Amino acid sequence: MDFFQSMVMGFQVALQPGNLFFCFIGVLIGTLVGVLPGLGPVAAISLLLPTTFHVTPVSAIIMLAGIYYGAMYGGSTTSILVNIPGEAASVVTCLDGYKMARQGRAGPALGIAAFASFIAGTIGVIGLMLIAPPLAEMALKFGPPEYFSLMIMGLTILTFLASGPMWKALLMAAFGLFLGCVGMDTLMGATRFTFDIIELTDGIGLVPVVMGLFGISEVLLNVEQSMERSIFETKIRNLLPTVKDWADSTWAILRGTIIGFFLGVLPGGGAVISSFVSYAVEKKVSKHPEKFGTGVIQGVAGPESANNAATGGAFIPLLTLGIPANSVMAVLLGAMMIHGMQPGPMLVKEQPGLFWGAITSMYLGNVMLLILNLPLIGLWVKILKVPYPILFPLILLFCLIGAYSLNNSIVEVLIMVIFGLIGYLFKKFEYEAAPLILALVLGPMLETALRRSLLLSAGDPMIFLTRPISAVLMLISFFLLAYPLVPWLRKKRAILPEGETED
Amino acid sequence: MPRINKDQASAAVWFVAGLTITVASVPYGLGTLDSPGTGFLPFLSGMAITLFSFIGLVHATLQRRMGVGWNPVMRGLIWKKSLIVLLALLVYVLLLKPLGFSLCTALFIGFLLRAVQPQRWPVVMAGALGAAAGAYGIFEVWLKAQLPRGPWGF
Repeated sequence: MDFFQSMVMGFQVALQPGNLFFCFIGVLIGTLVGVLPGLGPVAAISLLLPTTFHVTPVSAIIMLAGIYYGAMYGGSTTSILVNIPGEAASVVTCLDGYKMARQGRAGPALGIAAFASFIAGTIGVIGLMLIAPPLAEMALKFGPPEYFSLMIMGLTILTFLASGPMWKALLMAAFGLFLGCVGMDTLMGATRFTFDIIELTDGIGLVPVVMGLFGISEVLLNVEQSMERSIFETKIRNLLPTVKDWADSTWAILRGTIIGFFLGVLPGGGAVISSFVSYAVEKKVSKHPEKFGTGVIQGVAGPESANNAATGGAFIPLLTLGIPANSVMAVLLGAMMIHGMQPGPMLVKEQPGLFWGAITSMYLGNVMLLILNLPLIGLWVKILKVPYPILFPLILLFCLIGAYSLNNSIVEVLIMVIFGLIGYLFKKFEYEAAPLILALVLGPMLETALRRSLLLSAGDPMIFLTRPISAVLMLISFFLLAYPLVPWLRKKRAILPEGETED
Repeated sequence: MPRINKDQASAAVWFVAGLTITVASVPYGLGTLDSPGTGFLPFLSGMAITLFSFIGLVHATLQRRMGVGWNPVMRGLIWKKSLIVLLALLVYVLLLKPLGFSLCTALFIGFLLRAVQPQRWPVVMAGALGAAAGAYGIFEVWLKAQLPRGPWGF
């Protein structure tokens, strides 16, 4: 089937009224989630996953994907108007977006954020369409050692890019792997660490863990701080950027799109990192870097393009290799498995309708978001004014219902509450939860790949270094793990000659 | 000078957790390299947790020597509110089956609206009843989720 036939088939699926409806609901909820500080796309997708059990798998994935890229659009609104990022990928938009709002340019800031998001989101989807099928074809050549090395590389990249000391991120990944081991050992049929709790036989559910770590813990943190929010009162007008705004932003949008897309593809990369990289690049190439942070439009256009393009890129490893690039994709992978789908190289061949339908729905979703966002900014501002003391019980209620209705189990609700407390402590002690989530999802796959590889090589671990693709992936991982030691070694080398002369 | 810093404290906890996982994995059977057993990966993860927490412990100790001391995590925060929310969640889990979804939810929402940052009683009542009825309508009636029913049938 050629590219255009595939696209036509994709649009036939995406344009079905039911799928259009779920795409609309997804992007609407995504924008809302992006607007509301304290509820990110990971928690929102987990929260709404049980509501998709009664719809077809393709509608479910279209809706859940819509939440992800919708949140990227919505996140900029709070960054610009309240100086509080709706979600992590919009942190950097605060720097210049809020300053623009204070200078009376909230309209152009919101406008360029929406247009940049649309352009980058659409280009990201085109990239996804072009790259995913050949990559899936190539992935068919992957055996267990290649999969194992790829997953190790994904985890290493994520820990390498995580904020704070690397040992903390590696520790989180190791803990996630352990959590992934709880339950049935699929190769032997024996159970591990279940403590005779029947609900744990299938393992610790991803959804309760995610809702606890990202939803409940966020509420626990927010309620102990001052819950007052001040919205910068300004008339939002001139949402359409001027010709000068466009001239200033065009290259920033293009650069942001390219950076976002390729960082999104990288396992461990994603929207947050790409927005920061884009901002740094814009500052670097600017003739007036000193003006960044005072309200320059490139500081909004670049990062907003990058975080939206990254969403398209992030789908590539998931749909072609079955490996999630970040924690949102990890939840989406869980959702796909619950719906009976196995993302990976065979998905394009076995379920082309779903594959192309989900991708083309993103075009439509991006158009919906552009249409939705500009006229609805007034509504989002009103929602932002809902006091947090009234909002947080509702967020908790959604988490409780979401966790319970997965399997009608109180144990899952309890797991969610426990992980809420754990997530709260993680944040207090500055541990990032993203490597844990990725490792939790990859754990069972990684274990199977590791054991199969060792069976294949009769117990020789060199199999990971003797097969070319696997060796390259492993070398990248070793390099990333060793990289933090470079400054320390340099320091040592610099001190050594000094010591020698002293002697 | 405080005796330990935040990272030393957390790394020490992780170190114990890592050792516990490592030891607890052994009875599941580690197998051999050409046929790894059920306890193989948990054992490796336990070892990794122990190793990384040890690195963390050393790193944090070096930091403390450079003057990074204990920074109380609760300083300046109204942590009692988090505790109230956490306890409310645990009580909700305990009472969900015996009381049923609607009553339990109304009590939960009402309690949080009143206890965390006290709202006026009309707001509390409207919020509690509205949230319970709304959630019942959306999840039980529309989405056909099977929420627990109390002795009174709702």
